[in-house]
Amino acid sequence: MKKLRLNRKHLCIPYSVFLLCFVVAPLLVIIFYAFTNGEGKFSIDNLVGFFTSPNTIGTLFYSLCIAIVTTIVCLLIAYPIAYILARSKIKYKSTVVLIFVIPMWINFTLRITALKEILTIIEGNLAFHPFLNTIIGMTYDFLPFMILPMYTTLLKLDNSLLEAASDLGASPVKTFIKVSLPLSLPGIISGIVMVFLPSMTNYVVLDMLYNSTYIMGSLIGSYFSAYDWHNGSMIALILLIIILVFTLFTNKYEEDDHTGRGGVKI
Amino acid sequence: MKVIKFIDSKNCVWTNKKIKRYMSLFSGFIFTVATVFTAYTMKGVAGNLYLSDIDMFNSDAKISEVYMSKADNDKSTDDVIKLRVCNWEEYIDLGDWDEEELIELSNGTQIIGENSLIDDFEEWYYETYGQRVEVEYSCFGTNEDLYNQLTMGDTYDLVCPSDYMIMKLMAEDKLQEFSKDFYNEEDDNNYYINGVSPYIKDVFETNEIRGESWSKYAAGYMWGITGIVYNPEFVTYEEASTWSVFSNKKFNRQITLKDNVRDTYFAMLGIVYADLLMDEAFRNDEKYAEKLTEVMNDVSTETISEVQDLLQDIMDNIYALETDSGKADMVTGKIVANYQWSGDAVYSIDQADEDGLCLKFVAPKECTNLWFDGWVMLKSGINGNIKRQHAAEAFVNFLSRPDNAVRNMYYIGYTSVIAGGEDDTIFEYADWCYGAEEDEEEAIYYPVGYFFTGNNEDDEYIICASADQIDRQLYAQYPSEEIINRAVVMEYFNDEESKEINQMWINIRCFNINNVPIGVWVVIVVVFAIVSGWRIRKKIVEK
Repeated sequence: MKKLRLNRKHLCIPYSVFLLCFVVAPLLVIIFYAFTNGEGKFSIDNLVGFFTSPNTIGTLFYSLCIAIVTTIVCLLIAYPIAYILARSKIKYKSTVVLIFVIPMWINFTLRITALKEILTIIEGNLAFHPFLNTIIGMTYDFLPFMILPMYTTLLKLDNSLLEAASDLGASPVKTFIKVSLPLSLPGIISGIVMVFLPSMTNYVVLDMLYNSTYIMGSLIGSYFSAYDWHNGSMIALILLIIILVFTLFTNKYEEDDHTGRGGVKI
Repeated sequence: MKVIKFIDSKNCVWTNKKIKRYMSLFSGFIFTVATVFTAYTMKGVAGNLYLSDIDMFNSDAKISEVYMSKADNDKSTDDVIKLRVCNWEEYIDLGDWDEEELIELSNGTQIIGENSLIDDFEEWYYETYGQRVEVEYSCFGTNEDLYNQLTMGDTYDLVCPSDYMIMKLMAEDKLQEFSKDFYNEEDDNNYYINGVSPYIKDVFETNEIRGESWSKYAAGYMWGITGIVYNPEFVTYEEASTWSVFSNKKFNRQITLKDNVRDTYFAMLGIVYADLLMDEAFRNDEKYAEKLTEVMNDVSTETISEVQDLLQDIMDNIYALETDSGKADMVTGKIVANYQWSGDAVYSIDQADEDGLCLKFVAPKECTNLWFDGWVMLKSGINGNIKRQHAAEAFVNFLSRPDNAVRNMYYIGYTSVIAGGEDDTIFEYADWCYGAEEDEEEAIYYPVGYFFTGNNEDDEYIICASADQIDRQLYAQYPSEEIINRAVVMEYFNDEESKEINQMWINIRCFNINNVPIGVWVVIVVVFAIVSGWRIRKKIVEK
């Protein structure tokens, strides 16, 4: 009986099972399809095809453009708001934060449909600015994901550090650059990760805002609906690797700058 | 003390022994999952045959079903037949109508959908054949989804794909022939063969795949043509009644195409071959129908690249490619015309009427695409089980019963292939929908005999409609014979052809890297240089 006693590690079993069935196994299937051709033989044609076709590379470029621009726009809008909110001494802080979170409770297709009508009133004809509309849609959709992590990090910012900086003669601008900004970097990084990655593949926004250009997500879908599982899997795999590299990079950056320049080691 | 022990950190230390134990457990698990997965995929690849009687992944119910299907034929009638049906979403009457929706036809028939047709079928089958049947009803979103589901190993007995998918499944020998009894006109319960429109019947008999006519494998369900829904305030009949409306600069960014390679390809062929299609000599050719089919199914490499060039230009002229939003966008005035299937056209026009907006439908003068959805039985599902096949055929017959066909038409808004035969319910329903009021001043006489009896001169089948029906719902629901004469079925593409056409579609849809302006490259290089320069400088300073 003693051997059967539940151990803390046994609590991991449900998740491990989930992980194996729904993450590891499908991934293996994707890898299998990516490196085989129609006859089921090993082939790297799909990989070569992706990097030699101007269309697929162009799609990657277009998706990256959307993701980068969306992230920058989100960052520029979200940081000041998060900063002001976190530093201000107003009474009902959490209520104000709630206002930014409420849109997340409404289904996003509904929000984009509403946005579509608003943009039509402003622009007249949506078809003339597909890229701009996509950026607006994506920003609208992902802004809360940028605000929240930055807000929580800035909230934890120790006031005494800022006082110390100004005591030692730093101007407010310098204090911000040398103390506040480096200390809020973890929040910025997690915000970027949460916006950049989904906006590379969220093709529903493009579909709903009448942008007929494919991005990575829709390109994969188009291959699958043409029964071409091999090319579709290869693109999915390449996307996965790009995301992986991106995550590694941000993690490294986070560790790099997290401790050094702000003057505080946490 | 037990609690403390539980969180005791010593307990968490990973000793070598423990690691080994977990590693072996873990790899054992991976091995099991991999085996299960491979076997499951194999099962799918093997065309969904039951691999063995010891089918470890299926629930008990399924195992018993395997045995049942083997020994089915000599079992008593107490057993319930399970019929697995897969249909389009929202493509069957699910009942629950309000009382005021009761349809009272002038021949005395009253039609109302109380329960779903599926429940009604189960009841009807028991009453008629004394056998219980249970319908397992599921839905698919696109023909491609259905096909993928079938290759992944989902089993269905009866499915309802579109024309080209039926052809593809036929060519791949996946379909089960309908039995001789199904075509027996003596049997009053054979509503399909007794009621199907002679026009549709003819289409199904004359079109062949691998030397066999479609009618052997497929029974029609809904049919229609493709055309253009337009807002007469902004678009004239002449402008709308041609495929070239999509390249018309007057409607720059105010018209939508379908986000569907087949439909869009057809429309583009209509523009590419416009001169030929409008040529009098071509039109009066004895073999017009055959030649038209040939032209509109042209998938030669040159034509595909011609279509690609044309489409590239048209993409800059249209509002967007849409699948479903076009209907609403017409009403909100975002667009003035869109490419539409006749069934959806009826729906759009109805919806716009409610909002006080008048829309019209027209089939292009060059030619139009005749399409239909039909019921086919799958070999893998029926699996030689005669009783199940009988139930599947009865399901088709039940849906073809005139009153049920009317219920479906009312609910879905598409046109049933059923004309009713002896029964005049379907015609009465068309008259109920579109017939003019007694005191109508301007009435038009619209013959639909070609559909009901095969003879358009038949004066029994003329709908006397009010003049405001011209080019509206009635014309979309039952296109005139003149339009039908230039309606053509679009055949399925074989693997090679569909690969080329899909590539063309991807070329159109993807952003081409060569189109990136040089200025953007410069900006990228400059940004990259600044960022890396800054990093290097920082490193030097730190050192």
